[in-house]
Amino acid sequence: MGTTRKMLLLVGSPKRGKSTSESIGTYLLEKVKEKGMEADRILISQSISSRDGMEKLLRGVEGADIIVLTFPLYIDSLPTPVIRALEAIAEDRKGRPDVRRQEFLAIANSGFPEARQSETALAISRRFAKETGFAWAGGLAFGGGEAIGGQPLEKAGGRARHLRRALDLSAAAIIEGRSVPETATALMARPFIPRWLYTFMGDMGWRRKAKREGCRSRLDRRPYG
Amino acid sequence: MRVTVLDGWGADNAPMKVLLEEEMKERAWQVDSFVLRNTKVGGCMGCFGCWVKTPGICVINDAGRDIARLVIRSDLLLLVTPVTFGGYSSELKKAVDRLIPLNSPFFKKISGEIHHKPRYGRYPSLLAIGSLPDRDEENEQIFRTLVKQNAINFHSPAFAAGFLYGTQTPQEMRETIHTLLSEGR
Repeated sequence: MGTTRKMLLLVGSPKRGKSTSESIGTYLLEKVKEKGMEADRILISQSISSRDGMEKLLRGVEGADIIVLTFPLYIDSLPTPVIRALEAIAEDRKGRPDVRRQEFLAIANSGFPEARQSETALAISRRFAKETGFAWAGGLAFGGGEAIGGQPLEKAGGRARHLRRALDLSAAAIIEGRSVPETATALMARPFIPRWLYTFMGDMGWRRKAKREGCRSRLDRRPYG
Repeated sequence: MRVTVLDGWGADNAPMKVLLEEEMKERAWQVDSFVLRNTKVGGCMGCFGCWVKTPGICVINDAGRDIARLVIRSDLLLLVTPVTFGGYSSELKKAVDRLIPLNSPFFKKISGEIHHKPRYGRYPSLLAIGSLPDRDEENEQIFRTLVKQNAINFHSPAFAAGFLYGTQTPQEMRETIHTLLSEGR
């Protein structure tokens, strides 16, 4: 059955360059392709800005057996372009009979070390699946996404060890048409370094980025104060 | 009391909107309202320019900057939206995503979790009103949790969430709005 199923990856990052959502999605996509499954990738932000792009997205969703949405957490929820795409998909599916089983899997990543901060965004994703007639294949969350910073996961070393393993388990489930197992969800949520170290390195990272940008202001200034 | 309203409602929410505006007028609040479906607000690109390039100001120069400036000078931030899969509609979210410059990039532990430090000394309280065709326990639960988490991330001194239903009479809606706005104070 593996070779006949089709996966569509929807990458939800609004970033113009490389993103951790893309790293996660691409790793998973390559894994299912290795096993002979057909898989396509659509970048949501690019697609929804044109009528043709949106149409391609909607038809891609219609033709897939499983949709995998990877997205960054934006203020406890999904980024605006992802919500816009989900609204369009819901509108497109209105009044259409569910002719066959289609699944929906959501994978969140956030810059906070606690994966559980993405739970509401995953609840929104799950509710979308319910309202639009997709079977829920699971919701996974990765905390500490800044440490990946859009690198390919194969090159991200030990920082991505739990993440890769969780995605390997998810790929196997996708191929077999099963829900993602609890072990994958738990592995992905497991911190890869202690929380104090992540925040210490994160704070240093902001100062380093500001220096690189040639920023001369204090990072805590209050322009509207 | 200064209030900024981020209005993510669509044209079909017009009756609710009229009632809300009447209730606010009665309170003599100083209100800045953004009807988001008529306001061009560029999408946050996650570039972090507002943290590391022009700290406190988004790199996109549009209404998103005005929204952030008015929100931080308000006593109350009022969000209104159709409840969309339990969360905010894309129209409301495009404005909410642009509030990130109001926080500092640096991390802080709040109630046992890591969040971004406040950039300012004071923040508005948060009130969110979601509209639904009818009562819907799951949607309402997701929405309430989202508002609670937003209040943590935006350092709101107080927060509340409530709902208006398509099945309510205008009088019932008015009473709900009245109660919610009283909580918002």
